[in-house]
Amino acid sequence: MSNPTETNAAQARTAAPPPPPAPPPAEWWRSARWRWGAAALLAAAACYAPFQLVPFHVFQLTMVLIYAVALLGLNLLVGHAGQISLGHGAFFAVGAYTAAILLEHWALPYPLTLPVAAGAAFLLGLAFGVPAMRLRGLYLALVTLAIAIFLVPLLKRFEDLTGGSMGLTLAKPAPPAWSGLAEDQWLYFLTLAVAVAAFLLCAGLLRSRVGRALHAIRDNEGAAEVMGVRLSVHKTLAFAWSAMFAGTAGCVYTWVIGFVSPDSFTVNLSITLLAGLVVGGLGSLSGPVLGGLFVMFVPGLAQDINDAAPGVIFGLLIIAVMYVAPTGLAGLAGRLIRKIPRKE
Amino acid sequence: MTDLVVEELTAGYGDARVLHGVSLTVGQGEICAILGPNGAGKTTLLRALSGMIRARGTVTLGGADLTGRSPDTLARQGIAHVPEGRGTFMPLTVEENLRLGAYVRRRGADVEADLDRIHTYFPVLKTRLKQAAGSLSGGEQQMLAIGRALMSRPRLLLLDEPSLGLAPLVTRELFRIVQAINAEERTTVVVVEQNAHLALGIAQQAHVLETGRIVLSGTAEEIRADEQVAQSYLGYRV
Ligand SMILES: Nc1ncnc2c1ncn2[C@@H]1O[C@H](COP(=O)(O)OP(=O)(O)OP(=O)(O)O)[C@@H](O)[C@H]1O
Ligand SMILES: [Mg+2]
Repeated sequence: MSNPTETNAAQARTAAPPPPPAPPPAEWWRSARWRWGAAALLAAAACYAPFQLVPFHVFQLTMVLIYAVALLGLNLLVGHAGQISLGHGAFFAVGAYTAAILLEHWALPYPLTLPVAAGAAFLLGLAFGVPAMRLRGLYLALVTLAIAIFLVPLLKRFEDLTGGSMGLTLAKPAPPAWSGLAEDQWLYFLTLAVAVAAFLLCAGLLRSRVGRALHAIRDNEGAAEVMGVRLSVHKTLAFAWSAMFAGTAGCVYTWVIGFVSPDSFTVNLSITLLAGLVVGGLGSLSGPVLGGLFVMFVPGLAQDINDAAPGVIFGLLIIAVMYVAPTGLAGLAGRLIRKIPRKE
Repeated sequence: MTDLVVEELTAGYGDARVLHGVSLTVGQGEICAILGPNGAGKTTLLRALSGMIRARGTVTLGGADLTGRSPDTLARQGIAHVPEGRGTFMPLTVEENLRLGAYVRRRGADVEADLDRIHTYFPVLKTRLKQAAGSLSGGEQQMLAIGRALMSRPRLLLLDEPSLGLAPLVTRELFRIVQAINAEERTTVVVVEQNAHLALGIAQQAHVLETGRIVLSGTAEEIRADEQVAQSYLGYRV
């Protein structure tokens, strides 16, 4: 005789009403399996690329990653917290110069420059986050623009420390013998490691309670406040974190370029970063990477057409994106993927 | 036992004073209805109670002095405000909205159990968890707003015109749920409402606010029996 509970279960099964209609299938590109697959593919491509490309292209890819890290920070501030910064190039510069000064004057081993540069940018971001507590929109844009404007003369002023207009030239991190990598490949993998860590950190931050608070502030300040979200704390911290990512990117920039000068960090950089982020896609995870491609390649391509072209092309691109794809290239890509028919 | 005590509350926007000394008390676990014409200052009163705007006077909740506190402090003290227009975070999902409601709760609080509790009051939300809150209907958004407020396990729930823009049937259902919440959780409720019938139907106490002053107070029955109120808010003469 079979187990009585089993029989009961069998009877229950036969007696059960037909199952309710299955819920609509989850959008397949959101499914965990697809995401992991895509991530693995991307990781494989990222590790394979430097062995296939010529050094100059490896360098370009490295720069794309560096800008992506900076945009990750800007995206946190603009895309997720709903603030604005026209001065993010300044935080990038602070990271770059902190690393350069530490390497030049203190001869610090280069891996140690990363936490110091990130920390310095974080603190500066915290200081500039205080006005952000009270200002919004246009006023905040102007204050952050002022940071970017007064940075260049400041860097030129403290010549002993910063090398003035001449800047500082540094040795690039040498690939360790065990790795068997060329310099460009080593720099690429260093940058890749920093970028992956930054992405994971940022994604974790956004999934946490802090991320929810930032989204709430962005979407409805008043309602966020009555739910107990401290606006001043979160706005200030959003600035600080955002600056920290920019500073981290700046530090890696110094490693990779081996040279810093005030003219690399003009207001133009800040504007280009913001433009890159908007074109790449505000508030999305892939937006910063697409934006990194933009920051790396579009100014150069535009320059080839005409010296005055970058400004015009930027302006036109931003207007075009706002009309055609307000969610940026990332949003556009998402829409295209959704159009691909689903395999049953 | 009185829970909320408001004395001589004045508040306004910039130089314009809207509330001119409002005093009222609400008993622990009671529902208090605030009636009054448009522009009387009902929304302003709730905003002053939740700290969204600065106010003078004294406010105590369960004996604790809350006068002049910031909104996030008041949220931590147990005040949950469902604002006029619901304050939905449109791009976020329903679940994210609900979890934001538990923002003031201590780490490790049983948020999952509370989500289940909200689903028993508002089963429709459970089927919409992963959907953007902005895509909900008006009634569903109002349920979400109330559910979100409950996630903080409030001591005092402030509801600003929950019936706004909802079909009569949905409104009635919503008030039934508010009553159930009040009965089961012993949450004190202050509800501002244009639909005086429904509000008086679930409230024990009611106050009529006109141009920033309370002109009439009493039990729900007394207010319902008042000729003036009947004419102005209930649409018939007694
Ligand atoms: N944000 C604001 N800034 C300035 N004045 C305001 C603001 N909100 C409301 N007021 C003014 O305060 C007064 C009371 O408004 P309130 O919103 O409290 O009225 P209410 O009783 O809620 O009206 P309703 O029934 O129409 O919602 C009105 O005269 C209004 O013009
Ligand atoms: Mg109102």
